[in-house]
Amino acid sequence: MNFQKKRLQLLSILLLLLVAGLYLSMIKGSVETSFTDLVDFLIHSDQTHAKIFIHLRLSRALLAFLVGASLSLSGVILQGYFQNPIAGPFVVGVSSGASFGAVLALFLGLNLSLLGFSAQSLFAFGSGFAIVSLVYLLSQRKGVFKVETLLLTGIAAGALASSLTSFLIFFKSESFEQAIFWLLGSFQLADWNQIRVVFFYLLFCFFLSQWFAKDMNLLVLGDETAQSLGCPVNRIRRIYLAVSTLLAASAVSVSGIIGFVGLIVPHWVRILIGPDHRFLFFYSSLVGGIFLMFCDLLARTILPGSELPIGIITAIVGAPFFIYLLNQQR
Amino acid sequence: MSRYNIYAFSLVFVLGVALASGQERMMKDDLGYTHTWGVPPQRIVSLAPNITEILFALGLEEEIVGVTRYCNYPNQAKTKGKIGGMVDPDLEKIISLQPDLIIAFRGNPLRLIHRLKDLQLPVFVFEQGTALESVFSLIMKIGLITHRENPAAALVDSLRKDYERIQACLANVKHIPRVYVNIHGKGLWTCGKDSFLNDLVVKAKGLNIAAEIPRSWLAYNREEIIHQNPEFIIVVTRSQKDFSEIKEWIIRESHLESVLAVKKESIHFLNEDFVTRSGPRIFMALEQLSRILHPNSFRDCQ
Repeated sequence: MNFQKKRLQLLSILLLLLVAGLYLSMIKGSVETSFTDLVDFLIHSDQTHAKIFIHLRLSRALLAFLVGASLSLSGVILQGYFQNPIAGPFVVGVSSGASFGAVLALFLGLNLSLLGFSAQSLFAFGSGFAIVSLVYLLSQRKGVFKVETLLLTGIAAGALASSLTSFLIFFKSESFEQAIFWLLGSFQLADWNQIRVVFFYLLFCFFLSQWFAKDMNLLVLGDETAQSLGCPVNRIRRIYLAVSTLLAASAVSVSGIIGFVGLIVPHWVRILIGPDHRFLFFYSSLVGGIFLMFCDLLARTILPGSELPIGIITAIVGAPFFIYLLNQQR
Repeated sequence: MSRYNIYAFSLVFVLGVALASGQERMMKDDLGYTHTWGVPPQRIVSLAPNITEILFALGLEEEIVGVTRYCNYPNQAKTKGKIGGMVDPDLEKIISLQPDLIIAFRGNPLRLIHRLKDLQLPVFVFEQGTALESVFSLIMKIGLITHRENPAAALVDSLRKDYERIQACLANVKHIPRVYVNIHGKGLWTCGKDSFLNDLVVKAKGLNIAAEIPRSWLAYNREEIIHQNPEFIIVVTRSQKDFSEIKEWIIRESHLESVLAVKKESIHFLNEDFVTRSGPRIFMALEQLSRILHPNSFRDCQ
């Protein structure tokens, strides 16, 4: 009962923050605009303001929101999945795997697209899945499923993917600066196409996760308990692994690697509303989206006249909090 | 000879310009996008320092409304609106300047250029050539799209005269010295076959010891430098002060004592802004480098 009240409080605060974040994202920028400019534009739109408000600022804020939501949802799923609070898309190797695929497509100069998805996102999905499947298979030997092995394999496989990425970047050294923005993430070139793709995946994955949320609650109790309570453990595990990979890959393919979001946001939300996955999925997505939207606002306004890769900001905010959290739990 | 070349150039470009209707001009940029325009551009944004230098050299000072934060030449460029860097330009800023022509160069990421296209901004893209002569065609094309054909032809003509004069001075050079080019400060970074800088060394009648490697920039192997034993080390950097520090580092700390250039302290400075930008000043750099490598050839030569 207590949590229900908390959830309502949290929801109203989050909605307020969302509106505030969207408003600030629309107003703030290198070109000075005020509230009246925005109202003015909404009444009689002109080309220049349409481009700045709609195609640059709004699209960027929305993409940051969607990517933040995807990463956080992926993080919640992985933490439940591994019954381990240090799991996250980066820790399990999904992000690095996806990033390798995207960079590979970029450097091969592939311009093809399939069903509206660019070579870059297709490659990201492909190699993200490949890494996760590898990790999954390696840690499931002899029918026994060991979480420690899984995490460690994930870290090793992720490191392998990262070094392959670095190799590509080093080899194609003309694009060094470009590479930095890729490795630390950026929404500099957000466009509506990317928003469409990420939105589609997020929606699909969210409903799928929500559908099995009760099973996830059982899964957290341990595989044997879950099985004895009637949860089809293996099937549920496969579904959630696929869903979390899809989410992380779609996020990485549009923005590069953004660390810590998928790791810390689920923690915040669990502290606030408790461990029930029926609500965790929704609130983590919302909190993650809002968090990344504000981070991006900082990334593009903190240094006048230039961009800061957003990964720097999420790490500066995220890492100390994570350390604090670990310390609290001990 | 030079004049004929220019006429040949001009002819090619005029052929490239289809006169669709009346004064309307049409031209394809180096990414294959077709541009159509009628009046000379009034508000130009440059996305690269070499483009900025060329625009100023063509007398377009009034028309330039935005440049990158790296555009520091000529001095007036510093007073223009800044649109951010080459890799991270500020799209809002560009839009707010309401440009009718944005000139991009392929140091700008492709994704960025596509994004500018998506925003329906009039961006014209030039590919970076790997030969010094590509500067001539670059200037001619910029002249054409900005309606400054005559100043462009005059500039190319005078640059080509410079170039031919230097070549004439170097005509009788017999010994091609081995050169190690040091870029990016302390650390053994150098330029390979695919770089503009490599062509500068070739045209100055030097042999870049990393010329075998089919890349633009790379970290070179120390043993390989010792093995190749270059006669000259050229330090490409921003200022004389940086140069002194790097020279000191090469002599004292880089463990290249056995290399001929280090023994003879034949370590020389080239201004990074001149040599990494395919703009008009590249030929000044060519002359500097040629004089360093072949001082005797310039004795009886202007």
